[in-house]
Amino acid sequence: MGQMVFAGAMSHVLDPDYYDRACGAAGRQKVTECMAEIARMGERLTAARPDALIVVADDHLNAFSFNAVPAICVRIGRDVQRMVQDHAEAFDKVLDHMPERYPLHEGLANEILERGMAADFDLALSWEAPVDHAFLSPVNTMHGTRPLPPLVPIWVNSFVAPQPTARRCFAFGRHIAKVVAATPWRVGIIATGGLSHFPELSLPRVGETDTVFDRRLIHWMEVGEHEPLQALTADELHKAGEHEFLNWMVLLGAVSPARAAVRYFGELPRINLAAVEWSLA
Amino acid sequence: MSRYAVNSLLYRLKKDPEYRARFLADAASALAGLDLTEAEQAAFVARDMRRINELGGYLHLVMSVPGLAAH
Repeated sequence: MGQMVFAGAMSHVLDPDYYDRACGAAGRQKVTECMAEIARMGERLTAARPDALIVVADDHLNAFSFNAVPAICVRIGRDVQRMVQDHAEAFDKVLDHMPERYPLHEGLANEILERGMAADFDLALSWEAPVDHAFLSPVNTMHGTRPLPPLVPIWVNSFVAPQPTARRCFAFGRHIAKVVAATPWRVGIIATGGLSHFPELSLPRVGETDTVFDRRLIHWMEVGEHEPLQALTADELHKAGEHEFLNWMVLLGAVSPARAAVRYFGELPRINLAAVEWSLA
Repeated sequence: MSRYAVNSLLYRLKKDPEYRARFLADAASALAGLDLTEAEQAAFVARDMRRINELGGYLHLVMSVPGLAAH
């Protein structure tokens, strides 16, 4: 019987130079501390000997453009390429020195997709979409030079309204838990992004965060109260700059009622950096 | 507000280096024939990413078009 052997969630722009430019020395220091915790989480993931790592993250209008924006998309196939951006700036630049191809766990991805459709989740699928920093920055920070387990990338549409609801993302996570239990595999899952940043996706408000909102989310995760999290509305998430918390909602559904332990929380003007791990024992 | 026109243009500027070079050399000419309002056209010619964001341009695009990105 399959088993979820690791669950963690973390911010996904993990680059000291980026935060140095955006927030000065404090930015560099805090992201370095956060990355150290994420690397330790990666050591625990590796120690759990996963056969596959599910990565739930969002697209930043890189993999999908305006021909189609899937609410939830499962990446299938044998491997995935990283996004290539010429003259990359800002968060895209984080990718520049990362490996270009990553193996996928085709069996688990297909199970999540096919059983999902059978269970009335209208999932999108892709054989070709590349992954950006939302997937690769956490995965590479966790593993350093160690080999990566085969990945199952899953996109949630966090940014292009109308997004899937928090409740639907949680329900999809419950589906993932059922699928994993029915397979023979040991599976890790991470959700990336957040916490609060870019409220209302408004450029003049870049540099604002909502720490009170973040602490409320963290409290509910720490005590395993997942109902109020499922009740979060698109409007609340948009105003607080919590768009990417939808990725975390999928993970919460996959591990509920497990409780979260905060490994790192650091306030910066640009974003509140976070690294959180769930106890699955 | 033609949000699609604004965003598909931002996306093209990000992903198509040849079009981006044409735009940087002569914005008005590169924009000719596109379905933009006068305000949108003016914002792109001025390379005013804050205004483009106000007009419906997605934040992650206005922050990441090479050579034009707001930081």
